[in-house]
Amino acid sequence: MTEQLKNSVVTWNDRNAIVRPAGDVVAAQVPELRSTLRDALARGVQEMTIDFSEVEMVDSTGLGLLISAHNSISKAGGRLAVIHASQEILELFRSMRIHQHFPVSQRGGTASGVEQ
Amino acid sequence: MHAGEPPLSAIDRVHHRDRLGPAAGECPDRLADPTLDSVESIFAEFRRRLRYTLPSKARFAAELLLREALTNAVIHGSGANPAMSVHCAIRMRDRKLIIAVADGGPGFDWHSQSGQTADSASCSGRGLEIFRKFATRVRFSARGNLVTLVKDFKEGLTP
Repeated sequence: MTEQLKNSVVTWNDRNAIVRPAGDVVAAQVPELRSTLRDALARGVQEMTIDFSEVEMVDSTGLGLLISAHNSISKAGGRLAVIHASQEILELFRSMRIHQHFPVSQRGGTASGVEQ
Repeated sequence: MHAGEPPLSAIDRVHHRDRLGPAAGECPDRLADPTLDSVESIFAEFRRRLRYTLPSKARFAAELLLREALTNAVIHGSGANPAMSVHCAIRMRDRKLIIAVADGGPGFDWHSQSGQTADSASCSGRGLEIFRKFATRVRFSARGNLVTLVKDFKEGLTP
């Protein structure tokens, strides 16, 4: 089941969700993405895969949202992963030590198995 | 330089005097004010100007620094006062980018936070760390409501 939201597309497969933001994960876009991720949590998402295919930029507010989502999902026994990250975003995540918390990949996959 | 693109100096004196209203985007619960959208309008132009000027890695660093400075000024500097304005000056000269952002707020105590690194599991407090990691030089005014970031792209720009 695929839902088209204002700025994100969420594709459900059982209790696993792939969330594809339609643009950058930055302060101005964070409130909407946050409510999308919260809805997924409320529906009991187990594996949340965030697809960065359309994301060129992530700022500190966006990083905060991802960490916050990861913390909530882990608490509920689930997992989060980011796929299709650009080289620049991958380097940002590494330099900010975000990749220590959840998998971040330039390639595809899902939260249960990210392609390396 | 591609035909039709403005020369480097064209970005000189790009001066925005936007009224940026109140905003709050604190993690995890407060919602950001829509006036953060006014920051977004600056970036389309910023990206267009830098497209042929800097390679992608340098463009990313430049935009990230500008974003952090502007978002900080809107969220933390301007607080809840819709009458406040944020001033931003961007200069690119000799492959050196200078970003200055000032807000009308009371400033913040950058002395006490200058050496801190956010807990990597925390959901806020990464803005200053991004300044330190991505800028060549970071300066705050004594009051802490004006930040000047310098990014020197002279090194590492050769393909």
